[in-house]
Amino acid sequence: MPERVAISVEHISKSYGNFRAVNDLSFEVYSGEILAMLGPNGAGKSTTIRMILDILKPDSGKISVLGAPINDESKNRIGYLPEERGLYRGVPVLEMMVYLATLKGLSQADAKQRAMRYLEQVDLAEHAKKKVSELSKGMQQKVQFGVTILHEPELIIIDEPFSGLDPVNTRLIEGLIRDLKARGGAIVMSTHQMYQVEEMADRLLMINRGEQKLYGKVDEVRSRYALPAVNVEGRGDWASISGVERVEVSENGRPSALLYLKPNVQPDQVLGEIARRDDIHIQRFELAVPSLNDIFIQVVASDKDKPRE
Amino acid sequence: MNRAMLVARHEYFTNIRRGGFLFAAFGVPLITVGLMVIVFALTFQNEMDSTRVGRVGYVDQSGILAQAIDQPESFERYETEAAAEGALTATEGIGAYFVLPPNYLETGRVRLISNGDTPDALNDEIDTFLLANLGGDLEPEVAVRIKDPVNTAVLTLDNGRVIADNAVIGVFLAPLIFVMVFLLASQTTSGYLMSGVVEEKSNRIMEILVTSITPFQLLFGKIIGLGLLGLTQLTIWVLMGYITLRLGQNSEFLSGISIPPDLLIVGLIYFLLGYFFLASLMAGIGAVVGSEQESRQLAGLFSFGLAVPFFAIVQFFTAPDSFIVTFLTLFPLTSPVAVILRMGFGVIPTWQLITSMVLLLLTALFVTWASARIFRWSLLMYGKRPNLRQTVSAIFRSSGMETTATEERTA
Repeated sequence: MPERVAISVEHISKSYGNFRAVNDLSFEVYSGEILAMLGPNGAGKSTTIRMILDILKPDSGKISVLGAPINDESKNRIGYLPEERGLYRGVPVLEMMVYLATLKGLSQADAKQRAMRYLEQVDLAEHAKKKVSELSKGMQQKVQFGVTILHEPELIIIDEPFSGLDPVNTRLIEGLIRDLKARGGAIVMSTHQMYQVEEMADRLLMINRGEQKLYGKVDEVRSRYALPAVNVEGRGDWASISGVERVEVSENGRPSALLYLKPNVQPDQVLGEIARRDDIHIQRFELAVPSLNDIFIQVVASDKDKPRE
Repeated sequence: MNRAMLVARHEYFTNIRRGGFLFAAFGVPLITVGLMVIVFALTFQNEMDSTRVGRVGYVDQSGILAQAIDQPESFERYETEAAAEGALTATEGIGAYFVLPPNYLETGRVRLISNGDTPDALNDEIDTFLLANLGGDLEPEVAVRIKDPVNTAVLTLDNGRVIADNAVIGVFLAPLIFVMVFLLASQTTSGYLMSGVVEEKSNRIMEILVTSITPFQLLFGKIIGLGLLGLTQLTIWVLMGYITLRLGQNSEFLSGISIPPDLLIVGLIYFLLGYFFLASLMAGIGAVVGSEQESRQLAGLFSFGLAVPFFAIVQFFTAPDSFIVTFLTLFPLTSPVAVILRMGFGVIPTWQLITSMVLLLLTALFVTWASARIFRWSLLMYGKRPNLRQTVSAIFRSSGMETTATEERTA
């Protein structure tokens, strides 16, 4: 099945006065995938999201959402979870959800039915008549997420969807996001929780200082940052392997080591040699891939001293 | 359903349940009417009931009442003041007595002595009694005329409206009441509008709303919904007022109050225009300011502007053609109150009425347009408070305005 493009961003730029918030940014989001949007605070993520949602207009460039420039009809097929939560504090939960869903084109009755079903699903049914201000932060977050998906959007843009949630509720919302993906929905998720990205996202886009830094499949990006090294667990004289330049042994319960490879030596050559030799036994062999967290910090740090445009 | 109408419905039903609205809609008129009824009841009882004094004695030293006619039943003649005084101090005696001194005809002086205060009604009774006896020798028709020398028909100049004798106070009171109602209704509702905008802006629900509807739909929906709320409030008050009038028909004072239909129609037009103007102004303010407290201060300023004609109320009576009155009639912020006051008190030239309405309408349209632009533009200011210069330039400078794809196509 060819992937459908849910969002297409082409060379958009945006300045506030002399400050260039977004600079020549291009990317796409496909149906049925989760794209993680990463970047330090002030990198231009929110500005980009607001431009996609037609809250802001780009100075230059083109954005198309669900096949066309955003319009009233396509707005009905989008869900948005803003970073700073937006709920009416003094209005009962159910009523507010119904109101916001009717603004997305649902009928009153349909909206009510779906809202009730959602509240039951996330264990908030007994709070339906309570005012939002009477709910805990985590409950409010679940309500907010419900507002985002009640109209079964084809595209959702969610900014820090797990903030304020305990592990159980995090799992719950994760499940709902995966459901949406399984139904073919496109998901843009902005977050600082790198382990969530590693766990959930198909692709990632990292922005720093308004520019694209990393873009692609999560695994590919990580392997791009792979060290010329492999992690091994097992026994043997690691230094005696011909392709290995240097060995760092670590003893954390099980014997393991980080093997730095000589220039132009591929990991599978090393694996081949280990397999042939009887004096070396391994339980684990993997590329020394840094965590996204490490990559993130590395990218931001390398940008730090460059003057900003 | 149109999105703006969904917003209108939501605003209407959310705000109608507010404690503040219920109090303003039912509590305020109930308390006002209750207080009025109590005050009038007490006053009337005091002043209209001459029997509470009991029997009233009189001593005639002038000889006018030698062959007294038309003597009220409660009156009793005493030959000497000492006898009357004795009766006054006696346990089951009279409640008051009056003395006609020998020189009464020359001076017209009558002394009234009583144990406590005397109601107006007793004075009227004494008047009538003396008039009957003074005119005893005259032709009956003349005697009648003396008793009731003037039969007034008060006509106001503008429309020849006839005001019943006892309604003179009423006709002046009606516009005052109307103005109070207008001020209260338009202020509560436009106040809700503003605090709503401030809330939505400060808690970012605005971002969710504008990914569903356009800012103009949102603003328009709010103005309609809260306008209907204001009309509801007005209707409740008018109904309660009507019921009060029906109940108070026996009372001379209340039965005089009636709101003439032309005043009602012009009043309604000005209520709608005035509300429209005020509401869009408040929405614009709400979009610019950061906190509810700040917005209240600014709102207070404009509400004060609305009420300015009250401070010139004497001018409305004494010099309705003066420059100040004409100015207040035409100036959009003051015109709703000024026009209603003038309608009630007398003449308003047709050209002024029409000019005033057109000016108010044009201003309201302009303010709505400007507010929608400020509203739209202020969404982009995150955490920053725009200054006056930026705000003004957002209204007028099209390049400074950040229109988006949706708006460009709808424009």
